[in-house]
Amino acid sequence: MREEIIDIKEGIKFHKIQTNKFKTNLFAIFLNTPISKENVTKNALLTSVLRRGTKELPSQELISKTLENMYGAGFDCGIEKSGDYHTIKFYLEVINDEFLPKKEDLSKKALELLLSIVFDPFEENETFKEEYLEQEKENLKQIIEGKIDNKSTYAFERCIEEMYKGKPYGLYKYGYIEDLEKITSKELYKYYLELIQNCKIDIFASGELDEKITNFIKNDKNINKLEARKFDYDIEDKKEEVKEPKIINDSLEVTQGKLVIGLDVLSDEENVSYITMVYNTILGVGANSKLFQNVREKASLAYTCGSNYMKRKKIILIRAGIEIENYEKAMEIIKEQLENIKNGKFTDEEIKNAKNLIFANINNIEEEQDTEITYYLGQELAKCNITIDEYRQKIEQVSKEEILKIANSIKINTIYFLKD
Amino acid sequence: MKIIESLKIKEKVYIEKLENGLTVMIIPKETTNKKYAIWGTHFGSNNNHFIMPNTNEEVYLPDGVAHFLEHKMFEQKNGKNSLDTLMALGVDANAYTTNNHTAYLFESTEHFEEAFSELMDYVQNPYFTDENVEKEKGIIGQEIGMYDDDPGWKLYMNALDCLYKNNAIKIDIAGTVESISKIDKDVLYKSYNVFYHPTNMVMVLCGNFNPKEMIENIKSKLIDKPKQGEIKKIHPEQNLDINKKYKEENMEVSKPVFMIGFKDIIETENIIQRHIAIEILMNMLIGKSSPLYQKLYKEGILLAQPDLDYEFGDDYAHVLIGGQSKDPEKVKEELLEEIEKQKQNIDEEHFNRIKKKVYGDYVVEYNDISDISRMLLSDYFKGINSFDYIEQFQTVTLEYTKQILQEVFDEKKCIMSVVKTK
Repeated sequence: MREEIIDIKEGIKFHKIQTNKFKTNLFAIFLNTPISKENVTKNALLTSVLRRGTKELPSQELISKTLENMYGAGFDCGIEKSGDYHTIKFYLEVINDEFLPKKEDLSKKALELLLSIVFDPFEENETFKEEYLEQEKENLKQIIEGKIDNKSTYAFERCIEEMYKGKPYGLYKYGYIEDLEKITSKELYKYYLELIQNCKIDIFASGELDEKITNFIKNDKNINKLEARKFDYDIEDKKEEVKEPKIINDSLEVTQGKLVIGLDVLSDEENVSYITMVYNTILGVGANSKLFQNVREKASLAYTCGSNYMKRKKIILIRAGIEIENYEKAMEIIKEQLENIKNGKFTDEEIKNAKNLIFANINNIEEEQDTEITYYLGQELAKCNITIDEYRQKIEQVSKEEILKIANSIKINTIYFLKD
Repeated sequence: MKIIESLKIKEKVYIEKLENGLTVMIIPKETTNKKYAIWGTHFGSNNNHFIMPNTNEEVYLPDGVAHFLEHKMFEQKNGKNSLDTLMALGVDANAYTTNNHTAYLFESTEHFEEAFSELMDYVQNPYFTDENVEKEKGIIGQEIGMYDDDPGWKLYMNALDCLYKNNAIKIDIAGTVESISKIDKDVLYKSYNVFYHPTNMVMVLCGNFNPKEMIENIKSKLIDKPKQGEIKKIHPEQNLDINKKYKEENMEVSKPVFMIGFKDIIETENIIQRHIAIEILMNMLIGKSSPLYQKLYKEGILLAQPDLDYEFGDDYAHVLIGGQSKDPEKVKEELLEEIEKQKQNIDEEHFNRIKKKVYGDYVVEYNDISDISRMLLSDYFKGINSFDYIEQFQTVTLEYTKQILQEVFDEKKCIMSVVKTK
């Protein structure tokens, strides 16, 4: 196992990934909190306000100059929905000290800077700077309104929203305009202080790391300000079987219709997530999948057709971009593919190809720093601890019988169609 | 075998020219489980006029042949498509065409040997029929249509039109619906035989490889080809003047997009130093921390840092600065002013800071085996050794950079292309 997990304080963990594969060291801080309608917009806004300045570097210009002086260190931040968690993410990538023209302790500086961006932001009299807040509100407003610009992502989001109406997972990760307008600087700052004292914090470092790094984090002044916290948040995930699929139609100005079908995997078997991964790959991942071959290649109905498996929620989403008048025909062929797998109409070759694709993804985890960090964060949030080798074995062991069993537990929950 | 080593970034490249003329470059990376293979020919959309090596016949090709070949290479005599075969192995395979080369590649963590055999097999065995060539015209026609709808592509093509009066770089990579209608299987075979000759190709491998074993592996898979002399590629005469100052078009965009260009001379001696200096200058003029960008950001004229690019080849060289703004004219005006200001007084602290940043950007390129391989391949076709960017870095001084600022960022050689809202 390459990952070493160190408890800094209760609720605050440091994940150390020692690797010599890269020229860079990557540091990341994740603030994890249950997703709720009340906080979703605040979290999104907070992410962009924090990057505007720290006490020591109170403007973006100063942060940029500092990053340039650190040999063009790369800073990035964002927000993600992972199951019923909302995760605020911050990253900083720097060149490993070994490859600098002149020796200096760049990684230490980078970590210090990242910690101060997250935990020591620029504030005036216990509020965020008005100017920053207003500009970032405007930017976030454009992002929320822009949701509609990419029609295929929009349809995907809308289908999830309908499947999880009134539930946390149905929320939009960037929040809502009506809530955004009401947020004041003072309120957001107060919320921020509460958040950093209560949320689950995971700090990651990947690269050729100094042994002293753990002590350095433990003794950092910003980490010292944080209290131990009890964070116990169990994702409730009881699925009720839907009798009839929900049918939802939306109208927007589109030339190509966007079809999204949400499926529930109604099985509590122990290895359900690995078996479903193989099932989903046979169904709709890559050029050799049933959906691609039948909907696109044979029937020429779609430019794109495939499926995604959302492991945390045990759902599969089938997506297709089709001519609007081909809706019935596409539905028919897609349902036929689902039936075919249920009835065992898939070959050992298809299972082998699917496993090959999944293996390629598994093998890739350790080859990209951010992918590896995301993998371990997912494990952390799912409270599961599987090494990459074990993961591989689990996939290897999936049998045709198991796939059949899963296939027969799958029910259509929602059929969403975006047309003109 | 020749070995070039960079001590600064601790990488080595093994270079071997095989008997049949094929150049192979191998960058072993013991720490990665991935393997990357890319095989390229020095034949791109620019190469539409040349002398046949063995017959001395002068040939003009219809626009879009290189790209057409790229599409057709995957088709096999047995009816299979090599791309599907590679995907079934779980490897990530692809191909692309640029203005000066075409490349076939894949990345794998497993099944390398099977995939590599497939790659070497399909690139060496073309299968064109009247029927499969006709069928492809429809598909490529769709692709051309897709590009026509893309504001970013239009913006770029119009910028090139402003910079050059008569230059092969202005040719659309895929050609036009009209030009590809003239392509038939004979044109494809003729171009294939000349340009896919080992003497005109290079293969780059990066990953956990043993260079000696790989060379033998490659040799065992090569097919014998008749000997061939040098292909004389003919380029139109070059003119230092720009074609026109400005070009505008209306399309579906939410806010205007712009591209400001500066035409450069074709430098062969110190191209790497020149490239590094221009990279530094573009960042100093309008990069993230530059006074100009900060000003335009506050005024709401720029919302994100523009893309900065220096492109060059055998017969073209130019700077391109592209972005989105409600007022492109203002951006250009302020940029030209900033250039004059920095010509008068260049800030040394700023220079040193950006120099560090640019160095870091070069090092980060060596994180990923696909970035490394593609960079080595494309630099090879430009006659450049990629490691020289790292090695020559310290030789780029403030004095030299000032001189390049005077030379390159000249208002007389400045153009702008704009795509506005309908």
